[in-house]
Amino acid sequence: MRTAPGAVRFPGSASTAGREAGLGLLFILPSLAGFIVFFVVPAVRGLLISFTDWNLLTAPRAVGLANYAALLNDPDFWNALKVTALYVLWNIPVQTVLAVIVALVMNAAARSSLLKGMVLLPWLMPNVVVALLWVWLLDPTIGLINVAVKALGGPLLPFLSSPGMALPTIAGINIWRYLGYTALLVFAGLQTIPPEVYEAARIDGAGDRQTFWRITLPLLRPVLAFVVVTSVLGSFQIFDTVAVTTKGGPIATTKVFNYMIYQQAFERFQMGYATAVSMVLFLILVGVGLLQMKLLRAGEAET
Amino acid sequence: MKRPRGTRVLFWAAVAVIAVVTLFPFYWAVRTALTVPRAVYAHPTSFLPPALTMTNFERVLGLIDAVTAVKLGGSGQSINFFIFLRNSVIVSTLVTVGQTFFSAAAAYAFARMRFPFRRQIFGVYLSSLMVPGIVVLIPNFILVRTVGWLNTYQGIVAPTFLFSPFAVFFLRQFFLGMNRELEEAALVEGAGRIRIFLQIAVPLSMTALTTLAVITFIYTWNDYLWPLLIGKSESVRMLTVALGVFRQQGAQNMPDWAGLMAGTTLAIIPTLALFLALGKRVIASIGFTGFR
Amino acid sequence: MSRTSRFLIAGVAALMAVAASAVADPVTIRYTLWDSNQLPAYQKVADTFMARNPGIHIEISQLGWGDYWNDLQTSMVAGTAVDVFTDHLAKYPEFAAKAQLLDIAPMVKKDGVPTNIYLTGLADLWTRDGKRFGLPKDWDTIAVVYNKDMTAKAGITDAEMNSLTWNPKDGGTFETVLRKLSLDKNGNTGASPAFDPANAVRWGIAMDYSNFGAYGQQYWSSFAASTGWKFTDGMYAKAYHYDDPRFIQTMQYFADLSRKKGLMTPYEALSAQNVGSTVLFTSQKIGLTLDGSWMIGFYGGTTDFKVGFARLPIGPVGRRSMFNGLADSIYVKTPHPQEAWQWVKFLGSAEAQNIVGSYGVVFPAIESGVQAALKTYKERGLDVSAYTAQALEKNGTFLFPITDHASEINSIMQESFDSIFLGKASAADALRAANQKVDALFR
Repeated sequence: MRTAPGAVRFPGSASTAGREAGLGLLFILPSLAGFIVFFVVPAVRGLLISFTDWNLLTAPRAVGLANYAALLNDPDFWNALKVTALYVLWNIPVQTVLAVIVALVMNAAARSSLLKGMVLLPWLMPNVVVALLWVWLLDPTIGLINVAVKALGGPLLPFLSSPGMALPTIAGINIWRYLGYTALLVFAGLQTIPPEVYEAARIDGAGDRQTFWRITLPLLRPVLAFVVVTSVLGSFQIFDTVAVTTKGGPIATTKVFNYMIYQQAFERFQMGYATAVSMVLFLILVGVGLLQMKLLRAGEAET
Repeated sequence: MKRPRGTRVLFWAAVAVIAVVTLFPFYWAVRTALTVPRAVYAHPTSFLPPALTMTNFERVLGLIDAVTAVKLGGSGQSINFFIFLRNSVIVSTLVTVGQTFFSAAAAYAFARMRFPFRRQIFGVYLSSLMVPGIVVLIPNFILVRTVGWLNTYQGIVAPTFLFSPFAVFFLRQFFLGMNRELEEAALVEGAGRIRIFLQIAVPLSMTALTTLAVITFIYTWNDYLWPLLIGKSESVRMLTVALGVFRQQGAQNMPDWAGLMAGTTLAIIPTLALFLALGKRVIASIGFTGFR
Repeated sequence: MSRTSRFLIAGVAALMAVAASAVADPVTIRYTLWDSNQLPAYQKVADTFMARNPGIHIEISQLGWGDYWNDLQTSMVAGTAVDVFTDHLAKYPEFAAKAQLLDIAPMVKKDGVPTNIYLTGLADLWTRDGKRFGLPKDWDTIAVVYNKDMTAKAGITDAEMNSLTWNPKDGGTFETVLRKLSLDKNGNTGASPAFDPANAVRWGIAMDYSNFGAYGQQYWSSFAASTGWKFTDGMYAKAYHYDDPRFIQTMQYFADLSRKKGLMTPYEALSAQNVGSTVLFTSQKIGLTLDGSWMIGFYGGTTDFKVGFARLPIGPVGRRSMFNGLADSIYVKTPHPQEAWQWVKFLGSAEAQNIVGSYGVVFPAIESGVQAALKTYKERGLDVSAYTAQALEKNGTFLFPITDHASEINSIMQESFDSIFLGKASAADALRAANQKVDALFR
């Protein structure tokens, strides 16, 4: 998910304003229809459903704010909030640091489109496939990694079957999938730094390390801000990997928001409650989104 | 730029690590797919396929009957690969074409034309980037059910066919940055907006459009939850969903790993092919995505 | 319009209707099941049925367990569910409560279908308040499945395997056998004082913790029930007994068996969702497992070693197995209730169940079908009397605890068992808390 970097300019021609107004609306009409039918109406409908008790099969019953009240007292809800936040905390810092490193390697590799293509490969695979592949590699008894670790005298690594490791493992799997994509974004940011800046630094006698900390990283800030906040929005909505690897277990340590909502809606058929939880998630994402805008603007002010 | 030896070693070490971590899981998928099912558990660590076979691919594709497949130690299930491939291609192509075209039209209008509430409409479009998919999922599911589109292509395609906030935003930024001289010249000559859009703006933005199309195609191809809910029936089931279904077919808690990996390998091939054909453009465009 | 022409039109219309019905496509009844092993058997039943009822076409589909219920529920929401489906005792009360199942009691009465031909108790499981939501199709019990090569090497005879005892205090001879079958990385068996429980490489038994749900059917339910414990006080009870001391003791026994004694595969060594005790058994990492009769065909044909089926261990009050059964239910909105009923009636008949039995994949709900299954197993050299003897034993079985709120109870209990078997909580604490939550659902 991406969003606006910076201010919006609206150039336009002044001629035949009336006709153009009609034409303009015509141009946006199909997308507006799609937007209203599949975003606005369902969002409003979701809001309405969240005030009812409805199992989809029998008639809904209005319950006012009961779902929201229940949610505040539901340990599952608070658990989902905690788990999702923890997931974001596992996912984002590691992914960002690794992406910067990979981007630096790409940058050093001059014209290595082979390298770039390679790191992008995991992103081409469906989430489900990625998750299955890693489940297979990480299996405690017959997975390659554990068998190898055991052969070397190491301990059993219960990647997906211990409460402590399951969430970081899921984060790791998703980092593997999105690292290439993220690294390419950072790489593009690196490309925008003019070579003269590095030249000047070298003349001043700065070493590689100093150059990185004092020049590269500060100049990358707007890019990194963009990368971080877009990944955060995405990782708040993680679902596929959890559904395939742990189904929210063990002891609900991987029951993220989207999985909880899915269970409430499509396993227990408590539509009212499920939509109430999604509305709360929406509010959280708006908060994160606003923060994102702010960060991006702050980033731009410095460039 | 000449670099000291230490840095070069570090560089190549990094490249090696990246290559191994990225590629090894792919290798392992293929290795397991080439292994006789019974040998999968017996030799979990042998680097090469412990007992080489093509039968997993054959039975996943339904070329071997269920009884023989079970005797081989598999689940006896097959994936109607070509039907699901067809479904994935149809759905992804429809979404890609529709979304790219209609988003381009809207983006062009936002970038170049004046009409009432332009700023406000665009702002609202952007805010929909923050709506979590799951918020609209349930109402959309109900909507699709109400119009009787469950288990149809149109049901799977509908929500993303006309609009995607990302696509509109992405293309608008591109149109804003595009040189407008040609268009203005055409305006002066009396050409209409529709003609200018179709004959000048679209051809000029072919790179951006292709980029968006490839990204949209891959996202749609890989989508899981929506096609799982809407397209369960085999006639419209997509490849990703089929793999998820296949996983559950083994006896009790025991997936047929060899068959699964064969299916996985087959499922990667189409996107891999697309990537090889358009790879350079995708790579070039991802940089563009972030920073236009 | 003249009277004649009106007459004529009516006549033509009637004629056309007759002609249409003569060449009409047969009514399609969609039927679905989750066990792919049973597909060939039911295809045969459908073929037999269609040959006799040319006006009805049976279309069978199959999905794995998880997808099966997801699909069924979603298509009920859409109003497009299959006409007839294989139903489970844990699921049907919810469907019935939401008015998704056709009450077939009137049809049973009208056609005079006997419901006393089924094994004891099976038919009653599918009724509530005088309504009937299915005709029984099969049943299952639990028995011990063991690696004969391994027991032979450990010096355990088949006779011993069939007369094991168990109690939640010291585990009885059952635990003795587990000790003999376990192995640590230094090559000590669990019977040796030098055995290192933390470094076991082979265990006596394994259970699929992440599949326990609320009922532990083929895992702990036999042990818990053999102490005299009961899930509930009968069909549609409004309270569970997960906080009963006997149940707590049982679960604590198994938690210790895995976490302290090293005789049962620990939670961490079983992949959360994808590799279970069945895999460990076939790859000889455990010596025995408990499993349901629906898995006989799998064990009989997949392993590289000899497999034996033994009676359940004798607990404080004897041997107990869950007696579970499936039935075929009709979707309430089926466009063809009459044809769907014809199909269900046939599925519930001795003729159909004899066919299913002859495939040797499950035990049908009718005695003659069971005999057919036994004959097939015998031809394959499999002695499955451990399952049938359990079903025939007096007080040898208990029924699946049918109540409302099954899916909520499942997730509450799953989390509770997770924490017990991960050593995060004592069975007493976890189960008392969980039982309160469960009982609260009924208030």
